[in-house]
Amino acid sequence: MVTTEEIEHVSKLMKIDVDNHSEYLEKVQTMISYFDILDSAGVESEEISMPEISIEQLRNDEYIPFDEKLIEKMNHYKGTYVRAPKM
Amino acid sequence: MNLKISALEFVEEIKTGNITVEEFTAKTIERINQVDDKLHAFLSVNNDAIDQARTIDKKIKSGENVGVCYGMPISIKDNMCIKDTKTTCASKMLENFVAPYDATVISKLKKQDAIFIGKVNMDEFAMGLTTEFSAFGPSKNPWNIDHVPGGSSGGSAVSVSAFECIASLGSDTGGSVRNPASFCSTVGYKPTYGLISRYGLISYANSIEQIGPLTRTVKDTAFMLNLIAGIDPNDNTTIDNKNENYLEGIESGIEGKKIGIITDMIGDGIDPEVLTATKEAISKLEGLGAICEEVSLDMVKYSVAAYYTITATEAGSNLARYDNLRYGYDFPVEGYEFNSYISKARKNFGPEVTRRMIIGGFVPSAGHAGKYFLKAMKVKSKLTKEINEAFKKFDLLIAPTVPIQPFKIGEKIDDPVSLFLVDINTVTANLTGKPAISIPFKIVNGLPIGIQLLANSMDDKLLLKAAYALEQTVTLPEVPI
Amino acid sequence: MTKIGLEIHCQLTNLESKLFCSCKANYREFEPNENICPVCAGMPGSLPRLNQEAVKKATMIAMALNCSTPEKIAFFRKNYFYPDLPKNFQITQLNIYGDTSVGGSGTISVGDKKIRITRIQLEEDPGRLIYEGSSSKNQITLVDYNRAGTPLVEIVTEPDFETPKEVRDFLNILSDLLKNLGVADPSLEGAMRADANVSTRDGNKVEIKNIGSFHDLEKAAHFEITRQESLHDRDIPIVQETRHWDDRRKITVSSRSKEEDLDYRYFLEGDIPWVKINPEMQDELKSKMPESISSKKERYVSKYQIPEQVADVLSSDKFYSDLFEDAHTESNAKEVANIITTELMGLEDTREKREASKLTSIHLKDLADAIQTGKVSRNSSKNALHEILKTGKSVSQIISELDLGNVSDETELLKIIDTVISQESQAVEQAKSNPQTINFLVGKVMQATKGKADPTLTLNLLKKQIGI
Repeated sequence: MVTTEEIEHVSKLMKIDVDNHSEYLEKVQTMISYFDILDSAGVESEEISMPEISIEQLRNDEYIPFDEKLIEKMNHYKGTYVRAPKM
Repeated sequence: MNLKISALEFVEEIKTGNITVEEFTAKTIERINQVDDKLHAFLSVNNDAIDQARTIDKKIKSGENVGVCYGMPISIKDNMCIKDTKTTCASKMLENFVAPYDATVISKLKKQDAIFIGKVNMDEFAMGLTTEFSAFGPSKNPWNIDHVPGGSSGGSAVSVSAFECIASLGSDTGGSVRNPASFCSTVGYKPTYGLISRYGLISYANSIEQIGPLTRTVKDTAFMLNLIAGIDPNDNTTIDNKNENYLEGIESGIEGKKIGIITDMIGDGIDPEVLTATKEAISKLEGLGAICEEVSLDMVKYSVAAYYTITATEAGSNLARYDNLRYGYDFPVEGYEFNSYISKARKNFGPEVTRRMIIGGFVPSAGHAGKYFLKAMKVKSKLTKEINEAFKKFDLLIAPTVPIQPFKIGEKIDDPVSLFLVDINTVTANLTGKPAISIPFKIVNGLPIGIQLLANSMDDKLLLKAAYALEQTVTLPEVPI
Repeated sequence: MTKIGLEIHCQLTNLESKLFCSCKANYREFEPNENICPVCAGMPGSLPRLNQEAVKKATMIAMALNCSTPEKIAFFRKNYFYPDLPKNFQITQLNIYGDTSVGGSGTISVGDKKIRITRIQLEEDPGRLIYEGSSSKNQITLVDYNRAGTPLVEIVTEPDFETPKEVRDFLNILSDLLKNLGVADPSLEGAMRADANVSTRDGNKVEIKNIGSFHDLEKAAHFEITRQESLHDRDIPIVQETRHWDDRRKITVSSRSKEEDLDYRYFLEGDIPWVKINPEMQDELKSKMPESISSKKERYVSKYQIPEQVADVLSSDKFYSDLFEDAHTESNAKEVANIITTELMGLEDTREKREASKLTSIHLKDLADAIQTGKVSRNSSKNALHEILKTGKSVSQIISELDLGNVSDETELLKIIDTVISQESQAVEQAKSNPQTINFLVGKVMQATKGKADPTLTLNLLKKQIGI
């Protein structure tokens, strides 16, 4: 069972300000409880599989500048910086 | 002028000079103005469409080389980047985001002289099944505007179904192309994972999602696939399809093909009308010479839980970049400290996205990954093994696309698990990377039912042949709008 | 017992492009945010494209450190929020599904000791932050993504170091090794960074981050050991924590809670398939690797009888060992090595001097030959060397222009010797009774010839003239 504290903790981790924790709590609890069904799948011994690519198919090491001044299309400040809040 | 033509018919009409691109484009925009207030498929319409149409007409008249789309109006789900246009993912977080580059599929279609008639509605960041989670209001089903059009590519399906465009590109993570296609009676295609480049598709669950076309006919889907499929150096997960021609031989039929009926997808909870339609489809296929037999994929019952666990995890990570520092919406950083700014800025995510991100922070976290995320990954592996086994015996698999017919707007919005389960027949294709298509099959009580076919990886050509064959066995009523 | 372990981050500065996009790997010459693209700036819809050469170079580093290199490598996401992280996750490597980082379980010799390498992983560098504003009220943070996505190799060692000096020696060896492999230039600003973890008397491990240079690393380790020892002496337990190095006060300070409660939610990077590096490719990489430092040293000693000290210095330096390879022949190898190590390295002691120098391997070869054949004395060769560096003129030209040629003409030499003998009668008498002191007279002859007399010939002639 997921608790309100855990939801608060996770929202901090995910950097989302959740005003009304209980509003989310109920639905999130329901959703996560549904996932308990995974316990009966009997898959402990399965291995994780992933697609593969051969090293020869990877990108060549070449410098190709992006064809535009990307910074001009982003929020920018003081010329060409991106501004972040103070740490 | 008839807007109710297929893509291939459109191309013929333009080539023979029966219509001009400008005429058709103008008529399309007129149609959008006529019906979209009611349907709300579009988030933005291309104001330069007529000009672009004129340019293409000029090219045709002067005998210049024209791309094979001949100015066909295509709508694009608003999670794909078109350079210098707004791309919002139906979210307030990206309200002001203007894409600085074209998605690969967009470049390809641009080269072929397609006209992007507008960006269409979706569930916010593609998380949902009905477009009810769009920050800009839901879309409506053209067959009955009190009912949902499906999602997350709801706007795509509505725009094609209501003749607001010839074709659309949507994205399918757990059924998001096939589900609305089924609910709106269009063709909806999810290719083999890796067949179509995701460069420029704003990621939700990158290990399983694919861009897919929504069209009025199966041949139109094959036509679109020819233009957008293929290996892309900008996307390391794409595979080489060796320039396959998906239209070639599409009419060759399915005589002797073995088709597996996925019993786990026609079990409890299925609408009796949907079950009847499925049985009819199976008879029709048998009438065409196919051999249909039952098959079971045991992991299907765990597939929805696995799907939501995996996608929440990936979404939590893929959406982390939306910190509103480089792009997003208007919210200055003055006076804020880093953590408080980011947390506040991200309040602009809708409630469903917020819930998924909370889940996505929870299920892979240090204390819980073993119970949820890792198990989900293992279910994915086992399901893949099971379906690979099935494809040793069968050429294709069949099931209804959605176990129920389109429901009323607002009906499931407060019942998350019930909503999840709408996906039960579609997530398997995503988790296993197999191609799948939804074909419009029947209208019952004024609402559509679609039938789904699946094929083995890279067998997209066979899948389209079978879909075409099934499509040809039915004639459907016209959409009442 | 003191245990120190290291985590070293080394930029692959010799690559052309970044790890996941085609922006320039060496970002140092750009204006802020001039070296970015949708991928490294974390734009919506962008995808990583893995750099083939980066994988190869990282694998070679692993091989040079005697690591095992798996046939399939995988990438993972490390999820956390920070303004220098454009995607708010870092693509890195882990070994949670078996061995999937580029290298594991290696060793490297530091003096007599073998330091164990835990693993080598390939990952991307974040961007850079600049802080402006003096008070906490008006402080702003500026972000420059030019560096974001630069390829990094992280080398993690077991806590096998026992003293800060061992750490320092290891870092020098590693530096030379990386230069020798041609994968990085560790002298570039920010190219190599390291974190350390320190535990004493079996106490808790303390991590130290934010160490700016290798010199500081030694200092930081030393400080931390002292700090811990004094706590032990007062029976105060060591807290397991992360501390950062305060460069101004030269102490380690407990880090604020930025690091606390961090759960990175590691999972496989879905945009990059597992990369297969099959045995054939691995063999090919091994064969393409430049000769290792230890192998070079061994060759210098055994083949050319170069003294061990000289061979040590020469083999560790990529620039000069390359120069040696080009300049030497069977006969003059020892002399070339000698010139390089005793003269040249001292003269060209900075990058700027090296780049400005006009010396080529041909000069070196000619000079060594000239010394060996007696055309010029070792003394004079020093002047010649100065001239070569400055002007690049050929050795023969310089010898004649500066009149550095050895006075080896016997007749001429005898004249000078006779003059010296007549001038230094006292010394001559001394030499007759104590032959050792003849060196004084040799010196006088050298003086008279401005160092150009052939010393051996001079000695023999002197002895003859004096009659000893």
